[in-house]
Amino acid sequence: MTRRRAAITAVCALCLALALAPEAGARNVDISTLPGRDWAQLTIYNGEDLTLVREMRSLTLKKGLNRIQYAWAGTLIDPTSLDLRATERQEEIEILDTTFLGDKPQHCIWNIDSAFEGQVQFVVTYFTSGIRWSADYVAISDPGETEMSFDGYVQVYNFSGEEYDNAEVRLVVGVVNLVEKIAELARQGLPPRPGTPKYDKLRAQAMHKAITTAERAEADQKRAPEIIKEGLSEYFLYTVKGRQTVPDGWSKRMLSFRARQVPFDILYRMRAHQYGPRPIRFFMMLNDAEHKMGTTPLPNGLVRVFRDNGRDGLSYLCEQSIPYVPIKEDIELRVGTDDEVVYERACMDVMRNNWAFGPHGAVVGYDEWRDMTERIRNYKGKPIRMEIRHILDGDFELDLKGARVHDYHTVEVTLDVKARATLDWQYKQLQHVGANQRQKHWIQLKEKLTVR
Amino acid sequence: MSERRRIRWLVGVAAAASLLAGAVPAWGRVRLVTLPVRERVEIQLDNLNATLVEEERIVTLLKGTNHIDFSWSTVGIDKGMIQFRVVNMPLRRKRGDDPPSAVRPDGKVEQIRIVHVAYPPGENALVWQVWTEKPYAARVRVSYLVANLRPSFHYRALADHDERELVLRKYIRVDNLSGEAFGSSGIWAGFGNYFHREVGLNEAKQMLIWKFTGVPITKTYTFDWYGGQAVSDEPEQRYVAMHYVLTNSAKHHMGLFPLQPGKVRIFQDDGRGGEAFIGEDWGGFTPIDDKMKLYLGLARDVVVRRRVMKTTRHGVKGNLFDQELRIEYTIENFKNRPVLLDIPVNMDNLRNEFATQRGEFDCEWEILDDGTSLTKQQIERKDVTNVVYHVPLPAAPKDPGAKVEPVTVTVHLMLRNVW
Repeated sequence: MTRRRAAITAVCALCLALALAPEAGARNVDISTLPGRDWAQLTIYNGEDLTLVREMRSLTLKKGLNRIQYAWAGTLIDPTSLDLRATERQEEIEILDTTFLGDKPQHCIWNIDSAFEGQVQFVVTYFTSGIRWSADYVAISDPGETEMSFDGYVQVYNFSGEEYDNAEVRLVVGVVNLVEKIAELARQGLPPRPGTPKYDKLRAQAMHKAITTAERAEADQKRAPEIIKEGLSEYFLYTVKGRQTVPDGWSKRMLSFRARQVPFDILYRMRAHQYGPRPIRFFMMLNDAEHKMGTTPLPNGLVRVFRDNGRDGLSYLCEQSIPYVPIKEDIELRVGTDDEVVYERACMDVMRNNWAFGPHGAVVGYDEWRDMTERIRNYKGKPIRMEIRHILDGDFELDLKGARVHDYHTVEVTLDVKARATLDWQYKQLQHVGANQRQKHWIQLKEKLTVR
Repeated sequence: MSERRRIRWLVGVAAAASLLAGAVPAWGRVRLVTLPVRERVEIQLDNLNATLVEEERIVTLLKGTNHIDFSWSTVGIDKGMIQFRVVNMPLRRKRGDDPPSAVRPDGKVEQIRIVHVAYPPGENALVWQVWTEKPYAARVRVSYLVANLRPSFHYRALADHDERELVLRKYIRVDNLSGEAFGSSGIWAGFGNYFHREVGLNEAKQMLIWKFTGVPITKTYTFDWYGGQAVSDEPEQRYVAMHYVLTNSAKHHMGLFPLQPGKVRIFQDDGRGGEAFIGEDWGGFTPIDDKMKLYLGLARDVVVRRRVMKTTRHGVKGNLFDQELRIEYTIENFKNRPVLLDIPVNMDNLRNEFATQRGEFDCEWEILDDGTSLTKQQIERKDVTNVVYHVPLPAAPKDPGAKVEPVTVTVHLMLRNVW
């Protein structure tokens, strides 16, 4: 670890070349000081392979022209995003230009004109790829499956080639627009070619947006302990309390929030077209205060669901990825099939009438009547609720009690079944086929259907 | 700790000077660690898709920051799934500066906190940074999903001599190819008996989960024209299949839990104090109150011939017609006891054979009383296309010189509105 860090520090050092004038500067023989990084801040975007790095470095300037060399060999820094700013004495310090040396890849030189002599703090800002973060969650239900603990975590991965010691870490939830991938720009390793005006404008806008986001968050970072969450424009920003070190190649997982005694409902869904032939059990909850959550939107991530098995241990139920969940939005955890709940559906009889014939006597249409029967068997010691959806492609009428039309070709019914009970129901289904079909898709719910 | 151990815990206490908040410990090659032994292992097999192992160890924690290194090799552990919990968490009253995440709903504050987990590159390992208010010998539980430690279910049925009842034993078999020896472990399948066994490396353990006694057997004989095995040189015949049908219900002395899929080996009391193997079959998943149908083999003592005596088309209108069929079954029972023969018929297959190949429509059909020798009770409509005829057959005559009288069953059918 020590050797690695030393090497990285050497290649990534900000070097102050003590040249009296550019013309007099040696091309191949240099002497330089290696000022260390005072502080770093990483703003990591999970929607893109993008991290905004702000690192604070102190340089001692002399009056007149100063040449600052910056090198980033072996990293994934986007050279087009490099920016240097003095945080003090701005009126006395002018960044004249940035030069990318043609014969030295992953190097640049800033020429600075200073009216001040002494130590000045600078901020180097750039984009890098290879650092990402993800969210994940652990839900543990109580044995009775009425409440759960719901813990959120964030995990930061560093594959950037650089070790950021003692850095403030901030995580952005949301997707920013990028016109080019940072990883590709980093791989090119070339100075920015003179681009189109549109290219330059978009790059400048993206940079400005990220920096502004970072600066606005910085002002409030000390307000709350642990991981601070706040909204920013269309994004959400998590600031991790304290300073973190994530060495290159490592990842680190930290607690984001804990919600306890979160009430949830259980819903069974029977959707053969979507989930297959057996009902699927869902844990349903809301990301709101009533459910003891709702302090923050939930970034997309994996949820690992367990149940306290009542035997001083856990049962593993499922692992599922959830999309971004805004505050007050539903969270649906698909737990899987339940061996104690059985659903059956059968057509018991079919009859056709109202025949239509073509000019040569061929059948071209008819009405088809089906006697349908469905059954739920609940062997659990508590009542259940099941939502059933059927796809009906065509012109249908049916007298399924309590049903509603979900969309143009889907009918839905929700039923409650008592503990250790069986629920049966029958209905008639009429389909107008061929020449008798009035609409390509039409579902009509009737009070009672009789063969006509 | 054995040299064979593939999962390793190291508990190291970082020097106070290096305890920068959030810093990942730089584990050098020289270190002083404690190696806590497993106090308890539970193997949870109640999810057939994933096996959860929970192990408890007592780790000695010093006041302040501690690092617990958990690593494994040649064991398939899902790194992201590992859970770390403190059993019997020490608690105290809340103070003003306590972080919200450490405060429980009852207002008590946890005195041991997991600061973060760090994952080193290229290693099957992780490091928990744990902070404590006081020194503790804490019992901690780590839960993880492990690969190649899977259960399977097997059944052994012993039928009595006259095949009226059987004893069904349900076994769970655990094959430990995970790469780790778990030692003395609790094993729980989510139902039935709980076990405590040694689970060694590459070992397989088979344990009796439950024993159902006095389970009534329904032995069925099935003549399936479309699905049965053909008899060579006998175009009118199909072999009759034998099944045991068990009902997973309380009334049938089962019904405690659904039966998982597995191989069922069937033995029969041979009447002389021994038992004979009479066949095996794969039992499907059988929810409570459902039937498990086990194929035993072919019955050579029940012979069925099927002949179609009449097939006539009756025009309705245009190209629409009704297809009339008269089918005759001639059945001989050479067994010395009565038998109930099931004849399942798929009406779509019948329609496709005699009327039209338009198989995308469920067949409209009717069994006509006139010309059908079965009673309504003997005809069971399963659904829109499937019907089963139940035919009772008398035992063969006891007189060695008497011939078996064939039973003739006639079914008169009308397939309606075919085109």
